[in-house]
Amino acid sequence: MKSAKVQFIVGILAFTFVWLWIRFPYEMLDGIEKILGHSNQVDPQTLHLQGEFVESNLGTAVQPDGSVTVRLIAQQFNFVPACVMVPVGRKVRFRLTSADVVHRFTIDGTDQALEVVPGHISESDFQFNSPGEHKTPCHEFCGAGHYDMRSRVVVVDAAQFPKVGPEERLNCVSR
Amino acid sequence: MFQAANSQPPLRIPSNIAWTDDTITAASSGDVVRGLVIARRCMRCHGQEGFSSDPLVPNLAAMDKLAMWKELNDFRDGKRKSPLMQTVAAELEPRDYADLAAYYAMLPTYPDSQDPRSFPQPPPPSAHTAEAARLISGGDGQRGIPPCQACHGPIGHKNGAPSLITQNGRYIQEELEEFSKGNRANDINMPMRTIASLLSEDEKQGVAAYYGAGLGNLPAGASAMGK
Repeated sequence: MKSAKVQFIVGILAFTFVWLWIRFPYEMLDGIEKILGHSNQVDPQTLHLQGEFVESNLGTAVQPDGSVTVRLIAQQFNFVPACVMVPVGRKVRFRLTSADVVHRFTIDGTDQALEVVPGHISESDFQFNSPGEHKTPCHEFCGAGHYDMRSRVVVVDAAQFPKVGPEERLNCVSR
Repeated sequence: MFQAANSQPPLRIPSNIAWTDDTITAASSGDVVRGLVIARRCMRCHGQEGFSSDPLVPNLAAMDKLAMWKELNDFRDGKRKSPLMQTVAAELEPRDYADLAAYYAMLPTYPDSQDPRSFPQPPPPSAHTAEAARLISGGDGQRGIPPCQACHGPIGHKNGAPSLITQNGRYIQEELEEFSKGNRANDINMPMRTIASLLSEDEKQGVAAYYGAGLGNLPAGASAMGK
């Protein structure tokens, strides 16, 4: 049987815990992400050596719930992979980081405009409602090749979207 | 916000080199004289003055230190394939790479009629010159091809991007082919594989021949061929 004192302390701690979640929800979630190792920070100089943005992990990945995650690196002067394929009607999460300077990933024909800052991961969720091809120009001046910095998002019907295993990544770059 | 734990595909690393302050310092701090001594064996293929007589063998005169240092490391690590160069890089000590880079970076590039060099070659037919010049200094925004000069100089520079101003055209064309097929895959974060696969065969040939004629420094519209 707990003493009144212990109950009081537990009560204060519980109240504080609930209050922190109500008052600072995003900071609490960020803290939990850091503890779990899901930090939003990356080292732009070593993206190709380890972590989420190694080149073998770029492109379209399909989550267990059917939603789609597209990982791209923004660099002077292309977004890689330069062509990514996504399905119509499913949630697409774009995750980008920069290997060098600030870029802005925009998708023509949509309201998507994602600032991509070196050292951080930028994320945005979107759903395409019809098939088609969208160019993705960079909209933040990033150097001499900025005006030519453009890649593509190809949106296909669900029937045409290939089956992608958990360890596969999809892109539509032609070799 | 919580990134679902994804299994990742097998890890593929293009190059073990990352451009940190430490690696840039290491690549830039070689000894020129020591590099000259080591380079005597390189001269057999790359020429006495850093200009090769074989159009498929790259010229090394005035090569960027970072580019040369990285490529030698990549040859040693097997990230760039070449039976000959992988053996050469393995026989050298890692510290030799910076010395060689320092030596070759200092070599002049002015013409020498006594030197049996392949560079420059005659310029390409004028029909292709304008197209090549446009790609080199202006890129192609519709396809997302940045100008070569934006990374390879002179309008911009990227660490590890070699100067192409005095490079053999046939060698450039060969490397563009290899990048576009993915056979060469040591470009960090895939810029060259991306760009090379966007270029047509004619464009690869045209751009390479333009550089190989010594025209790569000129702004668009100022071709040595005239209008």
